[in-house]
Amino acid sequence: MQDDWQEAWGPVMRAVGTVGSDLGARAVAGIDRIEPGTLRRYLEPLEFDCALHHDEQVAKAHGHGGVTAPYTAALSFAMPAMWQPGDATLFPEDSRDAQPARSAVKPVYPDYFPSFSGYFATDIDIDFVRPALVGDRLTRRGARLVSCEPKETRIGRGAFIKIESEVVTETGEVITRMRTGMYLYQSHQEQPA
Amino acid sequence: MTQRHWEDVTEGEALAPLRFPLTVYRLVMAAGANRDFNAIHHNSEHAKRSGASEMYANTLFLQGMWERTVREYIGLAGTIRHIHGFRMGSFNTVGDTVVVQGSVTRKFIEGGFGLVDLKLWSENRHGISVGPGSVLVTLPRHDPSASPKVFIGEPHELERD
Repeated sequence: MQDDWQEAWGPVMRAVGTVGSDLGARAVAGIDRIEPGTLRRYLEPLEFDCALHHDEQVAKAHGHGGVTAPYTAALSFAMPAMWQPGDATLFPEDSRDAQPARSAVKPVYPDYFPSFSGYFATDIDIDFVRPALVGDRLTRRGARLVSCEPKETRIGRGAFIKIESEVVTETGEVITRMRTGMYLYQSHQEQPA
Repeated sequence: MTQRHWEDVTEGEALAPLRFPLTVYRLVMAAGANRDFNAIHHNSEHAKRSGASEMYANTLFLQGMWERTVREYIGLAGTIRHIHGFRMGSFNTVGDTVVVQGSVTRKFIEGGFGLVDLKLWSENRHGISVGPGSVLVTLPRHDPSASPKVFIGEPHELERD
């Protein structure tokens, strides 16, 4: 049926704004404290030359508690490990484009979500309380569903959803609040038979 | 990095545009650096199966481009309070160049802080690909007693006094 794919998003639409519609039952903690080396590598592809991000004296002279990460880097430093000692292999297949068994960025949603083959961020609003500092260990907390709109686009069928979350330090201090729009879709090229 | 003060800002003035050529090499570095290993950002075949024309820059990388552009405008003493309307209009694919541009929408004083609202957007060969969005920043004032060196706190706290 033509509208079956839209009806599949019904449970998600009904969950919007309901009490307990937080989709992230578990907070996701970054695996490491922010280290100078990982921060340096973060800056490389951006060619981001700013002393706040590598010179402690300069950062403190400007009122910060230490070397700061870029404001927009907080989410990167709140990501979990792809693999840790004791984990099962990430790479069980050897085909050229095989995907890892797990992903640190693929959204994990409740069972009532339809399956989707692709996803990407569509729009983001971020409020910054302060930049993360070298030494902070960050956690992404919360995934409150605030909207869901099924839509077919030129790349597939799925839904635009919006999620609210925040990044906190080990002490629970909120440093960043985000409202993230995502398009979750089954690509036209990968529609189920 | 030159330090701009709030009094130096003129509404309507442009930020210096920054160019970010997108090569496979750079996209792989970006994925490794910001940990977004979604294969749509570094594997052409995978990206094409997902409906895109090519591998494309990830959101964290694109946000970093905006932050660098803003930082070069606000200097070391500026702070960023929010980024709103960071909207992806089209994919920024490998082989293209992202140019981040911006302008000053409004300058105002609130809670003793010098604030500036910036409009930012990214362009590629197809036109605007991200935004336009709003970036609210603080800048130091020439009179150092007018505001502390750096604002750290909840955005609504700017409205004190």
